[in-house]
Amino acid sequence: MVFSSIPFLYYFLPAVIAAYFISPKRLKNAMLLVFSLIFYAWGEPRFVVFMLISIAQGYLLGLLIEKFREKPKLRRVFTLLSCAISVGLLIWCKYADFFIKNFNALTGLSLPLLNIALPIGISFYTFQILSYTIDVARGSVSAQKNPITLGAYVAMFPQLIAGPIVRYSDIADQLSGRTHSLEKTAAGARRFVIGLAKKVLIANQLGELIAAFKATGDGSTLYMWLYAVAYAIHIYFDFSGYSDMAIGLGKIFGFDFPENFNYPFISKSATEFWRRWHITLGSWFRDYVYIPMGGNRVPKPRWLLNIFTVWFLTGFWHGADWTFILWGLFFAVLLVAEKTLYLKRLEKSKVLAHVYTLLFVTLSFVLFDSPSVGAAAKNIGAMFGAGGLPPISAEAVYNLRSYAAILIIGAVGSTPLLKNALGKISEKPLGKKLLNICEPIALLALLALCTGYLVDGSFNPFLYFRF
Amino acid sequence: MNDKLKNIAVTALCGLWIFAAAIWGLVSSDAEISLSERRKLAQFPEISAEALSSGGFMSGFEKYAADQFPLRDGFRRLKAIGEFYIFRQLDSNGIYLKNGYASKLEYPLKEETVKNAAEKFRRIYDLYLSGSGGKVYLSVIPDKNFFLAEAGGYPSIDFERLVGLLRENTEFAEYIDIFPTLEIEDYYRTDTHWRQEKIVDTAKALAEGMGAKLDEEYEEMTLEKPFYGVYYGQSALPLSGEKMIYLDSPIFDGVSVYNLEEDSYGGVYDLERANGADPYELFLSGPRSLMVIENPNAETDRELVIFRDSFGSSIAPLFVEAYKKITLIDIRYLPTMSIKYFADFEGADALFLYSTSVLNNSETLQ
Repeated sequence: MVFSSIPFLYYFLPAVIAAYFISPKRLKNAMLLVFSLIFYAWGEPRFVVFMLISIAQGYLLGLLIEKFREKPKLRRVFTLLSCAISVGLLIWCKYADFFIKNFNALTGLSLPLLNIALPIGISFYTFQILSYTIDVARGSVSAQKNPITLGAYVAMFPQLIAGPIVRYSDIADQLSGRTHSLEKTAAGARRFVIGLAKKVLIANQLGELIAAFKATGDGSTLYMWLYAVAYAIHIYFDFSGYSDMAIGLGKIFGFDFPENFNYPFISKSATEFWRRWHITLGSWFRDYVYIPMGGNRVPKPRWLLNIFTVWFLTGFWHGADWTFILWGLFFAVLLVAEKTLYLKRLEKSKVLAHVYTLLFVTLSFVLFDSPSVGAAAKNIGAMFGAGGLPPISAEAVYNLRSYAAILIIGAVGSTPLLKNALGKISEKPLGKKLLNICEPIALLALLALCTGYLVDGSFNPFLYFRF
Repeated sequence: MNDKLKNIAVTALCGLWIFAAAIWGLVSSDAEISLSERRKLAQFPEISAEALSSGGFMSGFEKYAADQFPLRDGFRRLKAIGEFYIFRQLDSNGIYLKNGYASKLEYPLKEETVKNAAEKFRRIYDLYLSGSGGKVYLSVIPDKNFFLAEAGGYPSIDFERLVGLLRENTEFAEYIDIFPTLEIEDYYRTDTHWRQEKIVDTAKALAEGMGAKLDEEYEEMTLEKPFYGVYYGQSALPLSGEKMIYLDSPIFDGVSVYNLEEDSYGGVYDLERANGADPYELFLSGPRSLMVIENPNAETDRELVIFRDSFGSSIAPLFVEAYKKITLIDIRYLPTMSIKYFADFEGADALFLYSTSVLNNSETLQ
């Protein structure tokens, strides 16, 4: 089930809100767990088993790790076992065929592919369980004694299938006792509706432009650039819209989930971009891979190895394909180059820094979206005149005109301009009063408009479902 | 309004909206069809262990929930308004508005399907027409995009190329050009079709091309109910209804129309269908595989077979005065190989009369 759907908005959501708030405090986590499993089973009934196995191993091994905290060998064994089960399930479901294909290509053998369907959200909840057991082993959190509470944490539907990656330590206290307030509920509703609008009104519409581009027989350099820019805005609004909805839902149920995006397109370097894009994934790799490997407090060759390992894994996490691995390594190269060569110089010219970052980020997303490395090279080449495409085509001009307003809204919405303007207005008493009156009306209008788009059916997959 | 009041308003309005729509959806009865979209609406899916485990129930429910949503047409209209007037998109679901006319984007030119149409026509010629003793004609009906698209900055197919391709591959047929007889005012604003009362000159040009003459004066009859064409429902825009006029004449009094599918006889106009979901079915009962119009009072013994799409329904009656028998065959619904069981081509002239939109999407021709 996706948030931006009629069944979620008008069947599941009212049901879970009613059941949750009617339930006594001691049953609220159980209620969340039950509804989360229904939510998950809605899309993939059989994959609930994978999730239950993950929860069960995390729960039992978490308890064992804590029990043998004073016995390092046993603690390490149980931690490694938990990590092996989590990562093993992920590798089995997500990467088995990738390894077989590459093994076949290298050896000339023809081992049959397993064709395992990818359980939705497995990359996200695997990382959550990993963080839990590792944090228990490190002693930074206590093991959860109540399986329902741990189950509610892992399976919690708002962030189950596309993040943000909420670590157990982020919400451990809230799982055992959280407050619900009008202020928090209103903030949650606001955040949810804004996320829904980002997804339905911007991301989905640009998704249709991208689909038209991919189906066209009327390609041109202009169309390539239009696609590349549209895709960058599309993926940002799609993913950050989902994160907004997740964070908003979390607030309605009394949780404070970590932020996942902070206007990444205003970054002035790739380094800054990754501090603002998919923050919870970046910080996860930093805390559980990069720093344990020594981070940057090691000799330069080792530091380079650390960087490339982390970005190889970051790319690979996004998908079992060389395009994703290259995408991760592409950023590794940029980050190393920035840190060792030109970051200081880049910071001296804001315009150049922005152009540089947007250009490389846009190109990186063309690679990200390409079905193969060859196609990526062809697409990126075509953006710069290779391949013999005409400079413009009728369809490209038409779609540029047709999607101009959405692209402009998307581009402006990717910056804090609107947020800052509203902040300025609300500094004055009259402005604040006006905004307070307008906000509920605007949110209701957005909700109605989004409902119209969903009722009429349109392009609506969440990109990050496949991860 | 202070922050607390604002928070109350946000929570109450959003909560009320979601819960009210949910309850409304639960208590309201399900509709069978959408008149505006001219389609059946999804019904509550069957619940079974298999449907639940395979996900069939879930996907069925998602369609059902969207199709049966309260005030569905109103929400669809809201979306169309959002696309056209808020986000300034040039089309909605592929439909655009130009000079008050709604039209569906038809782009690009699919040369292969045009050639496919020509192949189908050739097959019919080889099977039934080559030795029939009659003449074979071909004519192409431009869709509204011919008049609107290029001038309005919308992607447009090369109509000249389309006709050229078709003619190159149908050398057995004599081409009759009706493009000069048509203008945008000859079409409905909200529908794909042309208006019967505006195509008398087109019918005359076609008849002249086939060596016949049309002189009949017709009386314009207007349906009471406003006509909302197919684009009205598809676009969901607040377009106004328009007059539907059909042409009447005493010559139709003695004419009988045989409907193969229903094995029944009727008149040229089906007034009952004029009140149905698609009032354009007024003309010869709409899309039918095979219809035979017989005019015992015709001054000639000439016979005509028209291979046609839905545009043919409204123009065919205008040929009645010049032909004793007109057979209309729609190979979208009647496979070419089955035609021999129902139609006789001996001595009859044949006309392939197709719109550009069908020729550019000829996969439907059998």
